Amino acid sequence: MDEFLRMEHVSKRFGDFYANRDINLSIRKGEVHTLLGENGAGKSTLMNVLIGLYQPTEGSIYLNGKAVRIGSPAQAVKLGIGMVHQHFMLVEAMTVFENIILGDRNTKGIFIDKEARKKEILELAERYGLDVELDKPITEIAVGAQQRVEILKALYRGAELLILDEPSAALTDIEVEGLFKIMKKLTDEGKSIIFISHKMREVLRISDRITILRAGEVITTLERSQTDGQELANLMIGRELTPSHYEKVEEPGSSVIQLRGVDYHKESKHNGLNGVSLTVGRGEIVGIAGVDGNGQSQLAQVVTGVLTPDAGEVDMKGSKVAQFTPNGFILENVSHIPEDRNKMGLIGNMSVKDNIVLKSTDSPEFSSAKGYHLKKKAIRDYALKMQEKYDIRCTSIEQETRNLSGGNQQKVILARELEGHPDLLVAVHPTRGLDIGATRFVHDTMIEARDKGCGVLLISADFDEILEVSDRIVVMFEGQVMGVFSGKNPPIEEISLAMAGK
Amino acid sequence: MKNSNKLVSFLVPVISILLAFIIGCVIMAVLGANPFVALQSLWIGAFGSLRNVGTTLARSTPLIFTGLCACFAYRCGVFNLGGEGQFLMGSIVCCYIATRSGIEGLPAILLCLIGGAVAGGLWALVAGLLKVYRGQNEMIITIMLNYVATLFMGVVYTNWLREGSVPQTESVPDATKLSRLFGLRATTAFVIAIVAGLLVYYFLFYTSKGFQLRAVGLNMTAAQFNGFAVKRYILMSFIVSGAIAGLGGSAELLGTQFRLINGFGAGYGFDGVAMALIGQLHPLATILVAIFFAALRVGSTTMQAATGVPTSVSDIIQALVIVFTVAGLAMVKLPQFKAFLVRLTDKKKKEAV
Amino acid sequence: MDWEFVSNLLLASVRMATPLIFLSLAELYSQRAGLVHIGLEGLAAIGSLIGFLVSLITGSPLLGVVAGAAVGVLVNMIYAYATINLCAEQIVYGMAINIFAPALASFIYRVYFGAGSELVQVSLMSTLASMLGITSDNFFVKLLLDQTLMVYLAYGLVFFTAIYFNKTKSGLNFKAVGEYPKAAATLGINVVGVKYAASVICGALAGIGGAYLTTCYATTYTDGNVAGRGFIALAAVIFGRWSAGGVLLACLFFGFCDALQIRLQVSSFGVPYQFFQMIPYIATVVVLAVIGMKKAGPKGVGKPYLREER
Repeated sequence: MDEFLRMEHVSKRFGDFYANRDINLSIRKGEVHTLLGENGAGKSTLMNVLIGLYQPTEGSIYLNGKAVRIGSPAQAVKLGIGMVHQHFMLVEAMTVFENIILGDRNTKGIFIDKEARKKEILELAERYGLDVELDKPITEIAVGAQQRVEILKALYRGAELLILDEPSAALTDIEVEGLFKIMKKLTDEGKSIIFISHKMREVLRISDRITILRAGEVITTLERSQTDGQELANLMIGRELTPSHYEKVEEPGSSVIQLRGVDYHKESKHNGLNGVSLTVGRGEIVGIAGVDGNGQSQLAQVVTGVLTPDAGEVDMKGSKVAQFTPNGFILENVSHIPEDRNKMGLIGNMSVKDNIVLKSTDSPEFSSAKGYHLKKKAIRDYALKMQEKYDIRCTSIEQETRNLSGGNQQKVILARELEGHPDLLVAVHPTRGLDIGATRFVHDTMIEARDKGCGVLLISADFDEILEVSDRIVVMFEGQVMGVFSGKNPPIEEISLAMAGK
Repeated sequence: MKNSNKLVSFLVPVISILLAFIIGCVIMAVLGANPFVALQSLWIGAFGSLRNVGTTLARSTPLIFTGLCACFAYRCGVFNLGGEGQFLMGSIVCCYIATRSGIEGLPAILLCLIGGAVAGGLWALVAGLLKVYRGQNEMIITIMLNYVATLFMGVVYTNWLREGSVPQTESVPDATKLSRLFGLRATTAFVIAIVAGLLVYYFLFYTSKGFQLRAVGLNMTAAQFNGFAVKRYILMSFIVSGAIAGLGGSAELLGTQFRLINGFGAGYGFDGVAMALIGQLHPLATILVAIFFAALRVGSTTMQAATGVPTSVSDIIQALVIVFTVAGLAMVKLPQFKAFLVRLTDKKKKEAV
Repeated sequence: MDWEFVSNLLLASVRMATPLIFLSLAELYSQRAGLVHIGLEGLAAIGSLIGFLVSLITGSPLLGVVAGAAVGVLVNMIYAYATINLCAEQIVYGMAINIFAPALASFIYRVYFGAGSELVQVSLMSTLASMLGITSDNFFVKLLLDQTLMVYLAYGLVFFTAIYFNKTKSGLNFKAVGEYPKAAATLGINVVGVKYAASVICGALAGIGGAYLTTCYATTYTDGNVAGRGFIALAAVIFGRWSAGGVLLACLFFGFCDALQIRLQVSSFGVPYQFFQMIPYIATVVVLAVIGMKKAGPKGVGKPYLREER
């Protein structure tokens, strides 16, 4: 097979930090080449170099044997490199058609020749089996369809190499099958694909070759036929994978929160709740499994008082909740690790210290005269204590939290949310974007809270995480509860099917 | 890190002021004046004698109020551009009480100040309610309300409280005027302004409510998730910032102007915004900037007499300070600039080794 | 109310809407590229003064308008550099322009004319009808022909803008920059270039809008003559839902309010005239209150765009 692209000794540095160091990579024509690595291994940076968004600090790139400089995204497009980003680069206010022809340079004329362009696009779509509705606005089509638009966008620009960044993250199993079919068709036609993923099952199924990245460096490149999942996992993490098995609880205590037939915008499949009933008891972790965007965010916001349900009842520790306000739930001793720590959890421009005491400055511990005088020394001492207890790494407790790493930001939230011994902890994607060490810390902390009698509602799109810590698993699909399963020896097949809506 | 941040936030305005003065000097030179003589007379005009200092402080008083008004609102994430309108509404109510209530002396003064603050607060609340319950852009609303207030004041001094043939109101009775400090131009209004500044400072940084208000201003969503009554804080910030401006309007009327007339309070709202931004939303820094602005204005009159440079050169210098400061503060936050600083310190470390 | 009152009112509405159209289109181009600009009031002020001076010196109001546009672009480059390259907060910097530009205008005026000078007046741009030598009291003749070139330019620009954003490739790319700059960049659209282009257009139109006031409307320059139109234009863009046609309707409405207050002042009913002068401002508040919460407009507005962001 001919080589399409080669990267030699490519490095990318941000300040003192090497996001990529001395990368060598070769992509053949007509292959699916997987880049495998943990979060922060440098996959995205490398791809951004390839599509001209970043300039490499050192190294060279060859296309069809010729040295090229990819100075801008426009050049990457011209060279036949197209990327489908994990967070789609689609303009929501525009239609599918408009998104595909955006930035078009191949056609002459000032005006948009709608008929001619549509014909071209539909031909292309048919050739690769990409089913799209051109006149629909992006906001009205499903995630899987949006992905097809992204692929079509790249092909329309004459892409020979397609980079797919975690394309299966937001898809159901059926949609993933469809995606794989499209990928197969593309490689049959001689296109090359760089597939970025950390889902081992998919990687093993679709790849021709696999390159493993760790801490910004290439570890090795392997032929698919000569490796297996265990080897890949070990290479990716850099040590033997020893799954920690937490003791699972089978008999939870009395109910902390109980939902009965809760509706919220139930006509919306992706952002609503439809007749949800579930219970979280003391001393258990209930994991909500499901593909992102099936009502999990809304569930989290109902049980923390941010949203008020349209119908149904919520009982808190046995008595019915009358009013839904975040403050009311906080007073009921409900803690919340929100899904977006920067947007919802932390005040980024405030210090570590201030964020730790954020919720409790009114308490007599931290202020006197009904909140009219802050006890600055008490706050400082407490923050220092928490910094040590939760191992928050910062230059000082006066450092602004926006400058902390994701893991340390999450620890600040944990220190704030767990120190008061909550009755209920609602944790939404608590380890998203964290490295392995920080993930372990978060899991340990949740288990510890559980063992102290706290009820935990864990919402995560990471199925492995759900399996790891949940005592009970509730599957959600399109705003509905599809089933409840035991967390001890969970029936994985059955849960997978339920997640796909079956 | 913390210290270097503080240093930067101090240096940016200082460098901006220097740059603005340099450009100001170039302009003066182009106009044929000797910049050194001009600067000297500017200084003498503003601070050359106790009397001049008094004038400068008197001039700074209304600016301190509108600066604090802007500062307080922005701390809660509210871009209140209506300081001027709130200032005027305060002065209008104050004028009514002072000239028509029949009360005089200290009780009248207290009533005037309270009335002015209430009027300013209510005027700001109109914008606050529209923002919170109708989701409106508070900037446009507060600006529009400024024009309405200015026109309303026009009605007051040309019609309702007009005295004689000149379009102006009656004068505040002597007994209701604020007393002067040590016989200078500055009055107890200046003291009230400083006290207001200290109170705002204490509230923002030493109380739980102030802490929560700042949290709302920095990240509204997170504040809501953490159980703060976001809407209440936003409304409160409108009312309090408006009340500060309204109080300023009353103090200005009772302390310096004594009657409403065309041009009363004109431009103070935007000046307040500028001062709060240069002072980086710190109430005490805002006071200092207000005094600096006032000094420029007072001094420029002397300068004009001595060198013929028009007083409006001081407006240019002020405007340049804000243009440079805001750009400078943005620049030091850029990643490239941070990387540059890191490289600079690295180099020094290496050289030291 | 007689026909003369109504026809005069309508004719005045068209005239009063014109500066607003320029300013609103300036805002529209800026926001479509993701730059919310609250400094139009300032740009218009300096445009107004320079337009006045140049038309005074050269005797040509048209040259005055061109100079107004040029100075608008010049001053707006400060805003563009600060917000695009330095990533300064757009609102804050717009405010800085609002303080800087009028101060500059006022200073230049004082330096040029000296202190305490008498009122200097310029002749206004002549209308098409007077250029053609047509005199008629017919309403339609007046409406269509008795207008300055600027009025035709304003309406032409609205038409052009509507076509540009809806029918052309370049317009589509322009909009993408305001909606989702990163996506636009990955498609090879020069985001920074578009933002600068938008700033040039915005500066020029705002300058023209200001210059209109001293070359077609009032015969002299006074401080504060923009009288909040820069902010009303912002409201017009919101009211017009970020489309050229909508903006036109919004401007005609606000122009009508302005015309109405002038007419009512003239007819006076013993009510202090200031109450009539409040009409455009109160109308703006009421209109915004009625539209209420609906959030729309380009999604990327107000956010800085850093190319190598991490």
